[in-house]
Amino acid sequence: MTAFDQQHLSQITASTPAWRRSEMEAAYRVFTALDEPTGAAEDWRYVQFDHTFSELEPVAEAGAPLEPGPFVASLTERSGHVLIVDGRILEHESEVARVRRLNDLDVDPGFPALVPVDHNKLTAAHAAFSTDGVSVEVEPGAVMDTPLVVEVQATIPGTVSFPHVRVRIGDDAEGSVLVAYRSADGARLLMVPRIDLEVGDGGRLRFLSVQSIDHAATAVVHQRATLGRDSTSRIGEIGLGGRLGRLDLGVSLVGDGSSSEVVGLYFGEGDQTLDYRMVIDHQGRSTTSDVFLKGAVEDDAQSVFTGLLRIEKDAARTSTFETNRNLVLSENAKAHSVPNLEILCNDVICGHASSVGPLEPEHLYYLRSRGLTVERAERLLIRGFFQEVIDRLPIRGLEEPVSDEVFRRFVTAQAEGRVA
Amino acid sequence: MTGTLEVRDLSAGVDGKEILEGLDLVVPFGEVHALMGPNGSGKSTLCHVLTGKAGYRVSGQASLAGEDLLALEVDERSRLGLLQSFQYPTEVPGVSLRSFMVEAAEERGLSEEEAGSRIEMEAARFDMTRFLDRSLNNELSGGEKKRSEIFQIAVLRPRMALLDEIDSGLDIDAVKQVSKAVEEMRSPDLGVLMITHYNRILRYVTPDRIHVMIDGRIVDSGGAELADELEAGGYKAIRERLGLIETPSEPARRPADFFTDTPFDVK
Repeated sequence: MTAFDQQHLSQITASTPAWRRSEMEAAYRVFTALDEPTGAAEDWRYVQFDHTFSELEPVAEAGAPLEPGPFVASLTERSGHVLIVDGRILEHESEVARVRRLNDLDVDPGFPALVPVDHNKLTAAHAAFSTDGVSVEVEPGAVMDTPLVVEVQATIPGTVSFPHVRVRIGDDAEGSVLVAYRSADGARLLMVPRIDLEVGDGGRLRFLSVQSIDHAATAVVHQRATLGRDSTSRIGEIGLGGRLGRLDLGVSLVGDGSSSEVVGLYFGEGDQTLDYRMVIDHQGRSTTSDVFLKGAVEDDAQSVFTGLLRIEKDAARTSTFETNRNLVLSENAKAHSVPNLEILCNDVICGHASSVGPLEPEHLYYLRSRGLTVERAERLLIRGFFQEVIDRLPIRGLEEPVSDEVFRRFVTAQAEGRVA
Repeated sequence: MTGTLEVRDLSAGVDGKEILEGLDLVVPFGEVHALMGPNGSGKSTLCHVLTGKAGYRVSGQASLAGEDLLALEVDERSRLGLLQSFQYPTEVPGVSLRSFMVEAAEERGLSEEEAGSRIEMEAARFDMTRFLDRSLNNELSGGEKKRSEIFQIAVLRPRMALLDEIDSGLDIDAVKQVSKAVEEMRSPDLGVLMITHYNRILRYVTPDRIHVMIDGRIVDSGGAELADELEAGGYKAIRERLGLIETPSEPARRPADFFTDTPFDVK
């Protein structure tokens, strides 16, 4: 069995460009020094991460690609396609953006160091063992009307893969990217993607990820965005899959006048854990941000949301808000919601709203008073609950399959008496 | 008795407090009745108990067209033909008025097409078209909310409509508008119980009968002369005529003990 050791590292670095090699070797030293994640650390609280690197293998060769799945299939218009299977880049083409493999770049493209290598053992592993990545560049002033579709798949049981996508939106350019995560049916595996998003001055980014990996798999996504002056980023997150599906998201509003919107929905069933850790960091002046995340859990599923709004000392005239609403639909399901503010500047408007509970009894009563049965009223309220998010998704065309999947989960559970 | 809403010896309480104390009331289909009473007399509780809101201890009888209402669930009562317009209709984010009405009409056996055309027709009549695809009651003014409630009644065509405080919080133009809607709803198949503590709506709606409710009971019923008496002397006049003693309310507390100890205290 191949292990995540020096020998494996040497094998990979043999085929990577020189600028990556020293970084990978440094990251390897960090990787060996760090402990496996456990629930004892605040950052992993509430979460059962039950993989260790000793029981996982690196990918030797990419498996056969999976079907695109309902979400990608429903998107009729696209401006390009990237297919990453088990961390290997099998396709990359785009009409508008310049899409290249990192291993084809002779010079360091200079990633902003948004995810520190020593953030946790998984980020260190990514930095050391990621074999290749995709760089997407939208030239200054260019406009990408329809999304670039990036399919990220994992297929081989017992492996861990390290997909890497870097998107750079040039000054005054506009880019649209959909990332769809899938994994093979029943395969117990770990996927550790890294997504870097950079938006130049006056740039506009629309980004949507749909995480629908198999319930046997685990995904831990590290995603960072950094925003230039007067730029706009609209990020959507849909979380449906995984025994554990974690999104570690950071948005840095560096440029004055930049603005960020993060909207998302998740629906946990069975014994899934859907886990969101977000930091929105306001650095520039006159920046605005809004986080709007809604989720439901049924059966024994649980969700976690920790969202930190940080306003740095010089970030005057910041306006920021975060909302996290959770529906707990079964007795054994749990939702943890921990919004946080860290304000180092006094010229700001900010707030947060958080709720955890069943469907509103008052809403149910009102609907039933018009003759709707309990079942019908609940179904209408579930649709309504998520509709607010679906209406705000930054990329159009996925409303129906997303709404259908969420609805199907609820209706099935309702018919089987799994929701109380 | 069929063709009526019939309430007999209805009592209801919450947290050990009696609110309705043996109330009797009959409203035949085809008539508009007004139920008037001061704040705290139990008018809204009567609505809640008839509609089936949880949390009340209830005894006595209530039937609609001969069917025992109190034995039914909230939604069963509604499908039987009882519909309340709420004093404070709740806002339901993400659920549009149109989709709500389609589902409610389907529960009453209408096809989607039938429901759709009836919704369009009634929306045009009650000037609700622009609200159909917005979230239910979201960002509606007080008057718009009441109009939306009446629109829902028009779409769902109940046999008995309970209009809880249909005119409260409305300016005079909105009261006129709502009154017009109530008059337009009149039909031989619909009974209306209009609940209010103001007389002013009676200038625009002429009920077939007026009931006065005090301390959890109907104390008097009559025609237009009852409205005139209320207009002239308020509930006090009715109490005096019927020899009803006003339950003493808690004595008003003085702002601070400091003042009660001064010689300037006003008795």
